[in-house]
Amino acid sequence: MKQESGKITLSIRNLIKVFGSKHAQVQALDDVSLDIREGELFTLLGPSGCGKTTTLRCVAGFEKPTGGSIDFLGQDYTAIPPFRRNIGMVFQSYALFPHMSIFENVAYGLRIRKTPKREIEERVGRIIQLVGLEATQKRKSSELSGGQQQRIALARALVYDPKLLLLDEPLSNLDAKLRVYMREEIRRIQQQARVTTIYVTHDQEEALSISDRIAVMHDGKVSQVGLPDEIYENPNSIRVADFIGQANFLDCAVKNNGVTALTFPSGEEIVLETGSDSIRSFTRQEGILFVRPEQMKVMAAADQANTLKGEVKVILYLGSVVRYFVEIFQKTTPQEIMVDQDRRVRGVRVGDPVDVRLQGEGAKLFPSNQKNQLDQA
Amino acid sequence: MLATIKKRLKSFELTPYLVLGLALIILVLFIAYPLSKVVFNSFIKLGDEPSLKNLTLANFSQFSTSNLYRSALLNTLTVGFFCALFSLLIGIPMAYFVAKTQAPFKALFLTLGTLPLILPPFVGAYSWILLFGRQGLVNYFLNQGFGFTLPDIYGAPGVIIAITMSTYPFVFLLTYGALVSADPFIEESAEIMGASRWRVTRTVTLPLVIPAIVASTLIVFMRAIGNFGVPAILGGNFYVLPTLIHFQVTGFFNLNAGGAIAMVNVALVGFAIVLSQWVTAKRSYVTITSTTQAARTSSGRALKWVGTIFCIMVIFFSLLPHLTVIVTSFTEGWAGTRYPTKFSFRNYRRILEVAMTPIKNSLFLATTATLIAAVTGTLLSYVNVRKKFKARWILDLTIMLPFILPGIVVGVAILIGFSSGILILSGTWMIMVVAFFIRRMPYIFRSTTASLSQIDVAVEEASAITGASWLTTFRKITLPLMAPGILAGAVISFSTLMGELSTTVILYSARWKTISVAIVEYLFSATIGPAYALGTILIILVLSAIALANRILGRKMSQMFKMV
Repeated sequence: MKQESGKITLSIRNLIKVFGSKHAQVQALDDVSLDIREGELFTLLGPSGCGKTTTLRCVAGFEKPTGGSIDFLGQDYTAIPPFRRNIGMVFQSYALFPHMSIFENVAYGLRIRKTPKREIEERVGRIIQLVGLEATQKRKSSELSGGQQQRIALARALVYDPKLLLLDEPLSNLDAKLRVYMREEIRRIQQQARVTTIYVTHDQEEALSISDRIAVMHDGKVSQVGLPDEIYENPNSIRVADFIGQANFLDCAVKNNGVTALTFPSGEEIVLETGSDSIRSFTRQEGILFVRPEQMKVMAAADQANTLKGEVKVILYLGSVVRYFVEIFQKTTPQEIMVDQDRRVRGVRVGDPVDVRLQGEGAKLFPSNQKNQLDQA
Repeated sequence: MLATIKKRLKSFELTPYLVLGLALIILVLFIAYPLSKVVFNSFIKLGDEPSLKNLTLANFSQFSTSNLYRSALLNTLTVGFFCALFSLLIGIPMAYFVAKTQAPFKALFLTLGTLPLILPPFVGAYSWILLFGRQGLVNYFLNQGFGFTLPDIYGAPGVIIAITMSTYPFVFLLTYGALVSADPFIEESAEIMGASRWRVTRTVTLPLVIPAIVASTLIVFMRAIGNFGVPAILGGNFYVLPTLIHFQVTGFFNLNAGGAIAMVNVALVGFAIVLSQWVTAKRSYVTITSTTQAARTSSGRALKWVGTIFCIMVIFFSLLPHLTVIVTSFTEGWAGTRYPTKFSFRNYRRILEVAMTPIKNSLFLATTATLIAAVTGTLLSYVNVRKKFKARWILDLTIMLPFILPGIVVGVAILIGFSSGILILSGTWMIMVVAFFIRRMPYIFRSTTASLSQIDVAVEEASAITGASWLTTFRKITLPLMAPGILAGAVISFSTLMGELSTTVILYSARWKTISVAIVEYLFSATIGPAYALGTILIILVLSAIALANRILGRKMSQMFKMV
């Protein structure tokens, strides 16, 4: 169930954060505005240094914003110290108290709130059960595995019923398989606890799979806010398209009258019978075609019309898909593209000439001036 | 408008400023004020009114006119140079053997190699005379057996040997630390590229530990030129700057001349620091240690046995003076005879009758100063590590100055500062506690800084976001996690204060004599028995404090002394 609408609980307005002294300043946040709705899992996604963690730490109160404001439930939170915010937070390193037992760790927030002893025992027991642990309460935190520590950190953050839960790259210290399992657990626990949650990650797959909504950030700015499928299928810029999932970008000249004709630098022309709105309404002469690997097809060369000619350079078997790296435009400006197939294409091997067909529905055109947004790495 | 100001005030963090204020008070009142008074008074002739028109270079001109002054300066440099040189010659090979060969007894070498740092060198200094002096045990047997004797140990040779035997552990331990913490993959990558074992050592291993070697050499030099006890006991007419200061201050009550000599002493320290910085300026390396794999060790047989014998010899000789102290304390008469004849507890009975007060005094002063230093040092290190502020240099100065100033200089400064003027403390126990406190606070600062740096900031943030105020977080989270560092620093502070001499000798009064002063008095009057009985009690007190702390902390002594 996506939360298209809902009461806005946290409102971040024009947030600015500048680090450093007068001589060496780094602008970590540049006019960030976000609205987070009640009960949703909202993810801040972006490469390292994009400002996602700084935004989260401003919400927690660990960083004081240089400008802008943070409103929570109608109250100005901008200058309130962290311990008065009634927020729960899970840290990247879990930050369990090493000198306390599991029980003491989880009970910490309740003790601070002067909860009666019996109630503490009851609530700690309940929350430990919710996160899927039992009978470990007397152990020290250092005796637990990474996944168990993760669950305890989550229990500690949720036990006092915070109004807001912050998760700072909580899965980055786990191995791949556990990471997938724990993200489902976090989603389940978050929905059971019905707590408004901000989740920070650089892992786009993680973000797409568990979020209600995602904000993609770059260079201290918000690039796009939307549902996971919107972000993946309809990125609003090359930067977002490039960061989320796999993507191919091809320079082309565009002619749009009824059907769309794309002419590539090699001279090859492709006519798209169908196309997305962004293609149909594209009015410029020059553009960059964005197409995901799964929206193309590789076929043994048969000189078919409306295809790009190329040569297979590498084939990667990835389990659920087979990825073909095809070099196109070989005579003029050689470029490798990725094409994903559900299974191996019969009779196509490394070194073979192939035809590549584009499917217009999922493709998009971006203006050529966005080219500098492509990650050079 | 008013509301925003109120809000600002509410979220305003006062703690760092309070702690900074504390540091500032300590710096100004106990360090800057006395030191500036020393500087000023050193330009005033004794008896003159301390005013601007009476400024004179008379006190300093002694260094060009007086033979005593000139030779004391030269002697100090000689002692510093040779102690540094010999400490390097002993410490580097030892570090290499223990770190890089498969020598047995490594843990034992490290522990015993740390002992000379804790045991006050002046206590054992006289043993060198008993053992190697003209009338000493070794010469007696050499003369009987082979008909020759060793050259006289009194004066320069004795001073240099005795100090070196108490300072080489700095080079040994610091170099050892650098050798074992260097990434073994760096050496292995040199080897896989075709470098021989010896070439790897010469071109990779040694250059990587040069910063540690330079740092330890500097410490040895500073210790050597600031040492008072050893030249006072073994020097005779061989004066060095600290003994000359003592001579001027307690012999002639000439604090102004003492201050001038102290400033020259400090200038030598400053020169050494500048020199060492110049040497290391282009040699600071950051290595990323990617592995917990232990350093590789050579399996060469010959190297292993040469190393083992060398280490045993060094440790034996460095602990020999203190062993002599303990053995002799249980005997009657040695000075008259060639070697101890009759074992008894007579010395102890005598001590218990007349010298209980110094023992109690030392315990009281060391404990009080350590407690104050522990509280202040912990607060300062917390602010230094956790809070960012521009005036950090105030902290650095407060920590570094007492650390690098020779003990006797601090003594003179505190005496000049607080025997007249705004705050008069001379003759009280407080003046000693003040001096002890500012000299040992750096130890606790360093050790707590080290343990605080190990604590993930997120742990404290987790406490804050859970709803704990700063004070609650500090009390329930930070302090318990810092406790091992505080304890380690406090024990080092306490055990070195128990035998503190160079500051004490300037500041003590008849009522507040310490163990170290009593020992020196006995030694000066050639009453060896009681001196050594007191020395033994001191050694036992110091070692039990260390052993207790090791027990509680569950770590080795050599680890505790990493930052001294």
